[in-house]
Amino acid sequence: MPLPIQHISQVSLEPMQLDLQPEGSESQEELSYTVDSPTLDLEAYAVCYSGFAKINRLLFIAAHCPALRVEALRMALNYTQTTYNTQAYQHIHSKLAEAVTSSSLLPDAVAGVVHNIPSLDTNWIEMTNKKAALKLEKLDTDLKNYKANSIKESIRRGHDDLGDHYLDQGDLSNALKCYSRARDYCTSPKHIINMCLNVIKVSIHLKNWSHVLSYVTKAESSPELTEQKESKENMVIVTKLKCAAGVAELATKKYKPAAKYFLQASFDHCDFPELLSPNNVAIYGGLCALASYTRQELQKNIIASSSFKLFLELEPQLRDIIFMFYQSKYASCLKLLDEIKDNLLLDMYLAPHVATLYSQIRNRALIQYFSPYVSADMHKMAEAFNTTVPDLEDELMQLILDGQINARIDSHNKILYARDIDQRSSTFEKSLAMGLAFQRRTKALILRSAMLKNDIQVKSPIVEGSNSSGDNVSASAGASPSHR
Amino acid sequence: MPEMTRPLKSTTGNYSKLCEDINKYLDVLKRNVANIDSVLETLDPQMHALGVLAVLNAKYSAPASAGIDFETLFSQTQLFFTTCNGEQVRFATDNYAYLAHFFTQALVQKKQPIRGISTLLAALAKIQLHPGQLTSIHADICQLCLLSKNMKPALPLLDTDITDISQESGHFDATSFLCYYYYGGMIYAAQKNWNRSAYFFEVAITTPSMAVSHIVLEAYKKYILVSLILHGKVPNLPKYTSPVVSRFIKPLSQSYHELSNACASNSPAEVRVILDKHTEQFTNDKNMGLAKQVLASLYRKNIQRLTKTFLTLSLADIARRVHLNSPEEAEQYVQNMIEDGEIYASISKKDGMVSFHDNPEKYDNPEILRKIDDQLRECMALDEKLRSMEQEISVNTQFVQKSTGGRGEEEDVAFGSK
Repeated sequence: MPLPIQHISQVSLEPMQLDLQPEGSESQEELSYTVDSPTLDLEAYAVCYSGFAKINRLLFIAAHCPALRVEALRMALNYTQTTYNTQAYQHIHSKLAEAVTSSSLLPDAVAGVVHNIPSLDTNWIEMTNKKAALKLEKLDTDLKNYKANSIKESIRRGHDDLGDHYLDQGDLSNALKCYSRARDYCTSPKHIINMCLNVIKVSIHLKNWSHVLSYVTKAESSPELTEQKESKENMVIVTKLKCAAGVAELATKKYKPAAKYFLQASFDHCDFPELLSPNNVAIYGGLCALASYTRQELQKNIIASSSFKLFLELEPQLRDIIFMFYQSKYASCLKLLDEIKDNLLLDMYLAPHVATLYSQIRNRALIQYFSPYVSADMHKMAEAFNTTVPDLEDELMQLILDGQINARIDSHNKILYARDIDQRSSTFEKSLAMGLAFQRRTKALILRSAMLKNDIQVKSPIVEGSNSSGDNVSASAGASPSHR
Repeated sequence: MPEMTRPLKSTTGNYSKLCEDINKYLDVLKRNVANIDSVLETLDPQMHALGVLAVLNAKYSAPASAGIDFETLFSQTQLFFTTCNGEQVRFATDNYAYLAHFFTQALVQKKQPIRGISTLLAALAKIQLHPGQLTSIHADICQLCLLSKNMKPALPLLDTDITDISQESGHFDATSFLCYYYYGGMIYAAQKNWNRSAYFFEVAITTPSMAVSHIVLEAYKKYILVSLILHGKVPNLPKYTSPVVSRFIKPLSQSYHELSNACASNSPAEVRVILDKHTEQFTNDKNMGLAKQVLASLYRKNIQRLTKTFLTLSLADIARRVHLNSPEEAEQYVQNMIEDGEIYASISKKDGMVSFHDNPEKYDNPEILRKIDDQLRECMALDEKLRSMEQEISVNTQFVQKSTGGRGEEEDVAFGSK
């Protein structure tokens, strides 16, 4: 009973569709929330960034915060006019127009800004495009000349300049190409580091995180950085690398390494407006550490760390949160966390992780709360965590199932009991299970060796028709199985 | 005719030579089916086992038009299998197995599978060199047991682990191997011995393959269901699974994978949705019964999870947490599970509370120690077996040559040692 071929081809397509789906749904998820009452000072926020980062961050805020949408877009618009990025300009302008028309439907709330939209500056676009093309041409010819003369240093610079120009225009993939090409013309370790930084910068905007990490390691391993750690210039570079690596780890959901990288940033040398501000370092590092560090690690690496303290001073709320967490004042700690949540959701790198980080912090708090006790009253515990007993019960149940809290719930009296395990019994249980697993595996192997010895193999059937070559389902062993 | 019976009657001397001679005469025998019984009469299964075997095979392969009386043939076969000379038939294991297959097929066609089980068991005992040897008769017995819904006789066979496979003059093929493990898995599943069942299906799936056999595909579907009942999830297949199988089998069993994903969510509602969605396929594959057991086992799994997190829980809460309809239903489940030893708990009727206990086994009584001792012995025996197998291979001239000389093909041989 050979299976019909059409049936197979249909079914075999499905796994690919399945693979595609989650990606799409993820990006949708990112778009789905809005923040209504942020306490963000947009002006001060935008000043911290430059270049592509500024545009992207402002656009992110515009997409997720209706209240700040118009202002953010306007700022982004103004900023793009200082660059060659005409495409972004047009894009932002159309968004701005859309935002204004949609908000003007609301009565007088934003009426004040309505008559303020700058009209599309076609003149500027044309001029800039022309200028950009000219500059591109010039850089290109320069590079050709350098290449003809084969002066390594100049070729490298030529590539870098071209890359800078592409970046200014917002053409990331070409910028990356140019920066990577410079690699072959690097003569000193300094140049290599420079090239790495350039590639990292572009890769971050392209969200190519594995690329970022590999170039960070490459730069860090250069002798220039390993030998002369103290010089100011190198400190700046190291901090940049740590920040980039931290963001990359954060983006790939590895919170603990991310925290480690951010904690290594040096406050006095933190100058990386193309990616993040010192405030960001404080928040990213602080939250990742809260979510992934144990109490001891927290004490050692954050509270007692003189360098990170300076970062925390920038974000007093977060500092309070960390201290309260350490002092086991969970209710107020969680309350403060909720307060700053809105602002965090407007950060383009942190936003996708806020929910996970928060739940991890909460779980960690629950675990820490219970750790010194043998039994705990769940009413009191619920009070300490601002929640109800049934909700707490569900949360605890999940933690117990994940093996994070070793306890059992007495649902009748609403008491949580630490579980004492009889080591002896559990060892017996484990070893018996292990023995059975061993037997099963060994028997399978002995049988398999017999199989191989006797050359038992499902072979392709004698080809029935010419078309069945692509059809891997065979009927060689096709005695139809009987039924129960 | 007389000249034909001469070789059949030969009792002395070289049996392997005799086998060849008889095979030459098979065509003559087949042509003269009509009066073959007269030949048979002159032969004695004890003295001329090979001759009788050839005659019976000829009778089975005769066309239906020849008008052979099945009842006579049946009793002749039965007589042969129970009384034949084991030493002689070992020279014609292939013909012996054919006879068993013919016999099985005939019974399956007549829809009287139960009649052949004991005969074939006797036949198997005659031909096996030791109980751990697999023959193609194994599959026949399992098939008859399944068809007659009489699983018990096959269990002693299935419980014996196979360490060796009968060559049957090169006629033992993958089909009977796969069938044996497929049927065996089904028999164990019917006995609710999920562990062994999953193991048998796994063996069928991991059989070296150049192409995906239908048996493997069906075994894989059942493997998913049985694993879901047993573990609540589908474990990864061993690394030695043939790449063709792992690559092509998944797209062919989509609905089963959907079911396993639904199970991973621990939500009976989702499982039910998938069951409803794919009812047709499950029914066509004759797996609906197993699929329904997956759902039932999910409830049990969920209750078991509760025992890990709670010391006490009211029946109403249990019902709510595992999505059962009423506290009464929950009580039923808990009660059954306590009786089956799946959980340790007691129900207090007064306030409808269930208290869960730890495993009361303290591992300090002689009985459990004895059990552990048995397990140890078993492991040691296996280890011994592995050692002897390795020894065998390490003194194999071919292996020594290959491992010291060209390193190229060493792997094939070394693989056999593990």
